[in-house]
Amino acid sequence: MIGALRQEVRAAPTFTAWILFLFGLATLGLIAAIIVLVNGLEVTNLSNRVPWGLWITVDLSAIALGAGAFSLSAIAYLLRVKSFEQISRIAVFVGLVGYTSAMLALFMDIGRPDRFWHPTVYWNIHSVLWEITMCVILYSTVLIVEFLPIFLESNVVKSRFPRGPQIGHFLHSLTPFVAILGLGLSLLHQSSLGATYGVLVARPVWFKPSLPVMFIASAVAAGATFTLGITVFYENLVRVRKITWRLRNQVALFAGLMMLAYLYLKLWDYLATSYYSHLPARVNDLELLGRTTPYGLTFWWGEIIFGSLVPAIILLTPRLRKHDIWIIVAMVLAVVGIVVNRWNVTLSGLIVPLDWSPGAAEVFSVNPYRPNLIEWGVGMGVVAYALLAFTLGLRFLPMFPGEEHEHDHGHGPSHDDESGHGGEPLVKMTPRA
Amino acid sequence: MSEQHPQNDQFITRRQFIQMMTGLGASAAVAVALSEVEVLRDLIEDQLALEMPDVRGEDHHDAGPPGKHHWGMVINLETCIGCEYCVYACQAINDVPDDMRWNVHLVDKTETGDTFHMTRPCLHCNDAPCVSVCPVYATYVRDDGLVVMDYDVCIGCRYCQVACPYDARTFNWEAREGPSGYQAVWGEAEVERRPRGVAEKCTFCIHRIDRGLKQGLVPGIDRAATPACVNICPVEARIFGDLNDPDSPASIAIRENPTFRLREDLGTEPSVYYIPPEGMTI
Repeated sequence: MIGALRQEVRAAPTFTAWILFLFGLATLGLIAAIIVLVNGLEVTNLSNRVPWGLWITVDLSAIALGAGAFSLSAIAYLLRVKSFEQISRIAVFVGLVGYTSAMLALFMDIGRPDRFWHPTVYWNIHSVLWEITMCVILYSTVLIVEFLPIFLESNVVKSRFPRGPQIGHFLHSLTPFVAILGLGLSLLHQSSLGATYGVLVARPVWFKPSLPVMFIASAVAAGATFTLGITVFYENLVRVRKITWRLRNQVALFAGLMMLAYLYLKLWDYLATSYYSHLPARVNDLELLGRTTPYGLTFWWGEIIFGSLVPAIILLTPRLRKHDIWIIVAMVLAVVGIVVNRWNVTLSGLIVPLDWSPGAAEVFSVNPYRPNLIEWGVGMGVVAYALLAFTLGLRFLPMFPGEEHEHDHGHGPSHDDESGHGGEPLVKMTPRA
Repeated sequence: MSEQHPQNDQFITRRQFIQMMTGLGASAAVAVALSEVEVLRDLIEDQLALEMPDVRGEDHHDAGPPGKHHWGMVINLETCIGCEYCVYACQAINDVPDDMRWNVHLVDKTETGDTFHMTRPCLHCNDAPCVSVCPVYATYVRDDGLVVMDYDVCIGCRYCQVACPYDARTFNWEAREGPSGYQAVWGEAEVERRPRGVAEKCTFCIHRIDRGLKQGLVPGIDRAATPACVNICPVEARIFGDLNDPDSPASIAIRENPTFRLREDLGTEPSVYYIPPEGMTI
């Protein structure tokens, strides 16, 4: 046992070091989480004025980046674009990791984690948050049903449970129906996460009906980019092409066009609410935000230019997107863009004070917020969990067609020369170890 | 051509088109006619009424027949001297954590530059944003207008804090030990301490109202049935009573003075009315 492990470590030292690093990070996260669970949320920098903070950004970003799951599956199984089936498994996996990360963050964020199940029993159908909770629970179930075949077909399961692949095959045959369910549930809650803020009339920075639409559009764009980026990154790790060149271009085109659509909506969201019209309260609040926080800078550079426009240009320019490095750049920028956007959206409405006093004096000051070490610790722990899940999933599960028999051997990247693209066979079986 | 791309060569005939249009028109006419039949019209109205959000429909604790009372408060900003007794009494009686306030006091200015004292309990809105956002119905509006909480249901998501337009919501960030710093001087706690991790809010001293009504007392008149902040006020700037009863102290104060409510533009319909200070136009 130990001998085999030592051999494994020697064969793939980088992989081992990476896993150890992630375990270290996850342990730090676990320690921070235990501190929170034992002492309560008083150990965070959250307050009655800013009751939602970093973890909300983590949770909304994770859900947005998981949006590739429903959009790419819908293209594969509802629009019946066969080629997309190659990428639908990894998309579902990314979605599952995203949603479980979000649920971890939410679990830490509520004051009574022991009552996390309450929304399923005590219904308030007028609450956006109730709708979100139910959709997320149901959609996670959908993701598990979509993911199970991948798990059941893996060698780890197959060797111990021979009937696994059969059950997996049956579940897989349900995919089109499950995809419809997933599409509906995803559309609903990805949008209503935006509505969480959009419906709060008392806070003029948030209150606008465009937020649900902005959330779904940005999530679909960034989610598809993220899934493509992960795939290309993995291809470079194992030095094998996993998806056809055609599909790569199709997904890049889809993600790029969604990114453009998002930018177009955002342009009009900005024009309609801040340029062509003036709601005094909103103008004041935005001015206050710009004066007291780097909101303007992060909005224009983080969200718009580097977070959306540059990735859109990369994904839509064939000369750029043919290089793996540019796809990775687009992915990193899209991730940064979505995180900055969710941070800006979720905090802007809390940082500007509510003004409910009838007097003329400015009695309410701006509410500053900066996450403390404990919050960063838990946040990093959730990220470590996600990275660990990606690493182990890609390492041990058949994420791409033809990989079912591949993972028998050790991991270590093989250095076979992968020349050219296009007409090359889709999956080249390379001898390992 | 049609072998590669099988297509529909059947175009719409004039006859089909006329039939379709006539059918649609006739259906619309029948629908309009039916909606005027009395039985059906009542049915539709009932249905619409069901679909309207009615947060007062669900009542966990009973407080008499629906709508018999509607508890409200009038705060006179002209007489308030800013002594903060109402704040301290509230802290003590309701056992509120020392670093939080259910009932706040601010020093504000009128447009003419005169200082005035502003205090704010929970406004007990009829259409309370904190109620409609709560995912588990832990906050609800009672038939008597009180916005109250079920601490056993609350999951601590704090959406109510984010949604309340008046910052009237507080959260139990930590488990508490020892007495409140106000209880030695301002009175014993009359309610149970809330556990860590749930939201809370001003209740208009609901325990006094409910107990008082059972004893035949009148909240707003009998001190034992009246909120602590109202009883303690040395200048009678806070007036409490049943807004449904035209002879209650609160109703009389509203009738005899100019009053306004906070952020009426939001449509929250607060149960707290303010008498403006001198120099404020409303």
